Amino acid sequence: MKSKLLVLFAALLLSFNAFAISLQDAKAQGLVGEQLNGYLGVVKSSAEAKSVVSSVNAKRKAHYEKIAKKNSITVSDVAKLAAEKAIQATKKGHYIQNKSGKWVKK
Amino acid sequence: MKTLHNSKVLLSVMLACYALVGCSPTVKIEPPDKPIVINLNVKIEHEIKIKVDKELDQLLSDDELF
Repeated sequence: MKSKLLVLFAALLLSFNAFAISLQDAKAQGLVGEQLNGYLGVVKSSAEAKSVVSSVNAKRKAHYEKIAKKNSITVSDVAKLAAEKAIQATKKGHYIQNKSGKWVKK
Repeated sequence: MKTLHNSKVLLSVMLACYALVGCSPTVKIEPPDKPIVINLNVKIEHEIKIKVDKELDQLLSDDELF
């Protein structure tokens, strides 16, 4: 019983690790990019990219909401300001969304 | 004769001075009947923007977020 639990735990840990590619790796590999709305977007559709995007965006949203509430402005305003900064801070060679919504390399 | 002329001049100068002093304008300050409204919206908006800017900079330095 105990060993079974251990195996299950190890399997969970391994699968989690296999899935969880870091955000910086995903950016460098061109899987994800910065969108105009302040959130991450999938550039090359894959399970890895999707998982990174959804987990990072959930974290971002939580932070945006906190800042918005603290300063009594809307979440979308915070996100918009964040988008400007994020796109500006994006390294050369990583993907960003242009005005028409297409992915371009910075 | 000359002293008489001088005193005439003196008198007219004095009269002119009096007239000038008499005409000095009076400045009246009246409080407005409506309350004074100063709009500070711009400043507050600016302050919020700076604050949000700072907080976003902190967020952007987080490798797991950006």
